[in-house]
Amino acid sequence: MTVNTAPTALVTPVATMSDPNHLLEVKNLKKHFPILRGIFSTVKGIVKAVDDVSFFIHKGETLGLVGESGCGKTTIGRCIVRAYPPTNGKLLYQLVNLSAVDLGKLPEKEAGPFRRDIRMIFQDPYSSLNPRMTVFEVVSEVLRVNRICPKSEMQDRVEALLKQVGLRPEYMQRYPHAFSGGERQRIGVARALITNPRLVICDEAVSALDVSIRAQILNLLEELQSDYNLTYLFISHDLSVIRHICDRIVVMYVGKVVEVSDALDLYINPRHPYTEALLSSVPLAEPEGREERSRIHLQGEIADPSNPPSGCYFNPRCRFAQEHCQSFEPQLRDMGDNHFVACHFAEQMSLRGVIH
Amino acid sequence: MTSKDILLDVKDLRIHFFTDEGVVKAVDGIDMKIYRGRTLCLVGESGCGKSVACRAFLNILRSPGKIVSGEMIYYKLTEDNQIDIIDIAKLPPKGDKIRQIRGKEIAMIFQEPMTSLSMMNTVGDQIVEAILLHDEMSKENARKRAVEMLARVGLPKPDRLVDEYPFRLSGGMRQRVMIAMALSCKPSMLIADEPTTALDVTTQAQIVDLIRDLQKQLDMSVLYITHDLGVVAEVADDVAVMYLGKIVEFSDVRTIFHAPKHPYTQALLRSLPKIALEREELDPIKGMVPSPFRRPSGCLFNPRCSKMMAKCASVEPKVTVLNENHTVQCLLYEE
Amino acid sequence: MQKIVKIKKGGVTLDTDAESLRVEVASQWKLTWWKFRKHKLAMVSGAIVIILYIIVIFCEFIAPRSGLTNNAKYSLVPPQAIHLFNKGKIGLYVFGYTSTRDPVSLQRIWVLDKETIIPVGLFVKGEPYKLWGLIPADIHLIGALNPEDPFFLFGADRIGRDVFSRVIFSARVSLTVGLVGIVLSFILGILIGGISGLVGGTLDNIIQRIIEIMISIPTLPFWLALAAMVPINWSPLQTYFMISMILTLFSWMWLARVVRSKFLAMRNEDFVLAAQLDGCNNMRLITHHMLPSFMSYIIASVTLSIPGMIIGETALSFLGLGLRPPIISWGVMLQDCQKIASIANFPWMLAPAGAVFITVLAMNFLGDGLRDAADPYQS
Repeated sequence: MTVNTAPTALVTPVATMSDPNHLLEVKNLKKHFPILRGIFSTVKGIVKAVDDVSFFIHKGETLGLVGESGCGKTTIGRCIVRAYPPTNGKLLYQLVNLSAVDLGKLPEKEAGPFRRDIRMIFQDPYSSLNPRMTVFEVVSEVLRVNRICPKSEMQDRVEALLKQVGLRPEYMQRYPHAFSGGERQRIGVARALITNPRLVICDEAVSALDVSIRAQILNLLEELQSDYNLTYLFISHDLSVIRHICDRIVVMYVGKVVEVSDALDLYINPRHPYTEALLSSVPLAEPEGREERSRIHLQGEIADPSNPPSGCYFNPRCRFAQEHCQSFEPQLRDMGDNHFVACHFAEQMSLRGVIH
Repeated sequence: MTSKDILLDVKDLRIHFFTDEGVVKAVDGIDMKIYRGRTLCLVGESGCGKSVACRAFLNILRSPGKIVSGEMIYYKLTEDNQIDIIDIAKLPPKGDKIRQIRGKEIAMIFQEPMTSLSMMNTVGDQIVEAILLHDEMSKENARKRAVEMLARVGLPKPDRLVDEYPFRLSGGMRQRVMIAMALSCKPSMLIADEPTTALDVTTQAQIVDLIRDLQKQLDMSVLYITHDLGVVAEVADDVAVMYLGKIVEFSDVRTIFHAPKHPYTQALLRSLPKIALEREELDPIKGMVPSPFRRPSGCLFNPRCSKMMAKCASVEPKVTVLNENHTVQCLLYEE
Repeated sequence: MQKIVKIKKGGVTLDTDAESLRVEVASQWKLTWWKFRKHKLAMVSGAIVIILYIIVIFCEFIAPRSGLTNNAKYSLVPPQAIHLFNKGKIGLYVFGYTSTRDPVSLQRIWVLDKETIIPVGLFVKGEPYKLWGLIPADIHLIGALNPEDPFFLFGADRIGRDVFSRVIFSARVSLTVGLVGIVLSFILGILIGGISGLVGGTLDNIIQRIIEIMISIPTLPFWLALAAMVPINWSPLQTYFMISMILTLFSWMWLARVVRSKFLAMRNEDFVLAAQLDGCNNMRLITHHMLPSFMSYIIASVTLSIPGMIIGETALSFLGLGLRPPIISWGVMLQDCQKIASIANFPWMLAPAGAVFITVLAMNFLGDGLRDAADPYQS
């Protein structure tokens, strides 16, 4: 398999990246979904699934996107692959050097090369493969639709890739029902990588797998990343998996970014109360000392993205909340050491990490 | 430990599913002891039979599953402090005797609160129904008890919540309602079948802590089914590890985590991603869980076992008792 | 038993079991067929339906006489049952007829005469015919050895026409008038349902409301009104096609709703999104990725709507507003029953009703079986 190259020539760059090392820059991304009710589908409300989110991904790194239900992490992934058109904001994707395109504003005709360059691995190994298509057809569909290579070559490419992900190429003609969850996920990985992409979005790629299979797939993803120089956006709610595979982490709450940090630093030194509570909620696989371990309990429920609290979205549940927090939304601020927090009182708080 | 301490004694339980494609031995001869006031975690991956086993304790197996053999001896504590010995396996599944156990002696909460609560009745109605099935009291008193239970499980404004419909509640709240319903008759044992798998991390933590607190308050036994070893470490007193219908190892929680003996337990612990200072390489278990129709001969784990010996492929290991509270089913330890 | 193959990136267990291999390489259709096979009632019904359509194709050969041949002499004769033994000899034969005159009404009444033996055979020479109007022949599947002998398995009608032959020729019409409609409603249903489900939004809204309004109109009066508008001077063939159109008018809507709901459910599946991310346009999505998934559902739906069409045509023709002589269908035959003084005396005239009953029942069981087998992934 050749080393991947960026889409070129046919696409006119319309933007510039702030840093040549950034492969993707998300700038003030907003994705709102209208709530339709009634026989004439009138708009009764708006779900602000993603509400003014900004972050970037370095070439070759694994960026973790972590949060609970309703935080918008899946929606961001779908916006990047252009499944949803953004309501507002920019998705800058680097072509070469500093020139970039805005994925959100890309006309359909020019989208082809980017569909091949940015691929997705899905969560559910059972619903992400068409049960009526053979493994070969599933993996090669993108080659066929985009006429990337002649039919004679397709078989070789699929064979080579199946070997890479640890499946026997002879299984190409089988149907998905013949495979276990872990094997199906490998097929999903093969499907994502058949076009030599540079960016792969892993949308809860291991969450639906058994514990022992999870480790196999995580190892596979790591090997492939170093073999093919891939950049991963790893979306998950599982903080142990995120700790293991990610270089940097973005923590989200109800459509907003609350903290961005290098991986280890987040676990040692969280600087947002939500991150602190999230980390303390993760059950530790160590029975010793469990009586002494105290957990930070959050009051109330996760905020409703269609009706969020005023000011800081987290304020009703935050044990440090002040009156200021109810009126003013905090912005993401640089705390130094690659650590960014969206909290008015980040400097004053000393929060508990889970690694010491 | 005297027999007063054992609440449920399961001996050689076998549950088979008679499907069109063949017989699936979902539970293939398990022995288990659940002690009063202690939490036993049943751990295993998909297909190991843990959910099937816990359903058998209340005899609510889905067809085509049937209890083929074995005993489930329940030591019921009566009002005058005597012990009634009942073999649940022998009770007819639709009879009155098993109904007296369900809800009153052994209660159960499920994974999906969405589908386990009726959307057509209020929260209060459902809890009151559970209470009135087992205890003699007036409707007003039952409703008072329902409000008490809702407060106990940490729900806000329980006197208003009691008249709410479940579809207006979040997943975490519904799970608390289920727990309130399960505990409303003060059962001796609570079976929790993956109660937090469908919930968010923070909500999961709340529910896990709630169950642990309630267990201490009510001096109840808890049988907790899960695949999450983190949760096991947090709540378990004893742990039973299941693989393909057999309990491969049983011990107290510290032994399981610090000195596991069965290669599957060891491999499972090694394959967990841990939150630690150093990023260790994950050590996955090779291969995958075999289909129930193509079970390996000999030891069920042998094709994936890193410590496999030649005889493992043909000889089925028996349960070896290593010490008073530690059993393992592996040829490495058989004499 | 099992071989383990070590591959660099994780390990995979290889099964060499032949049975499992068979299941694993089986396509969707094979799995559906295996599941269908287990449904005994559906299998039997399927066989019956196949036999019915063989009759439809070869009706000139299978029927002893043509549907129009009449012999006024044998008006309203009762049916002759086939017997195997005659005084120790084995062979097919039927009893002949004797007639008496009713003293009051002076009507001739025919009864079976056990003394007259008429030998019957298979593949006998009989009335000449042209198979499908093209191939001349005169061999019939079953008939009296002597073509002059009366042979009325289901009796005869008022002008001496063989009911059995007429039922068989009617099958050709009744069972095919539905088919033309089926094909039309198939295409319409998939197209409209598919667009509605895939595109969604306002278009979906409008289409669904139109369908709901149309479904609320009571079908029989609507059909009657339309059928009454068909000009009498149209040729039988034109009338035949017109009736087909009318019957289709409603049936596509049910299919459209089924297709739409399937599309809506499938739209959110990850594999559809994966196909869209691969770059598939809507057309390819529908034809390659989504339709094959529920083709078996559609086939089941369609099979279940055929009985409705048969009954619709029968009802219309029975009321005189559908097909008319010289075209014969089961409905047209039943219309003759209206003119008979009392069905109690001549019950064999209801044979076409029996044929409709068997056909509709068989089709329903077949459709049920197909629908149950349609999703082999469901247990």
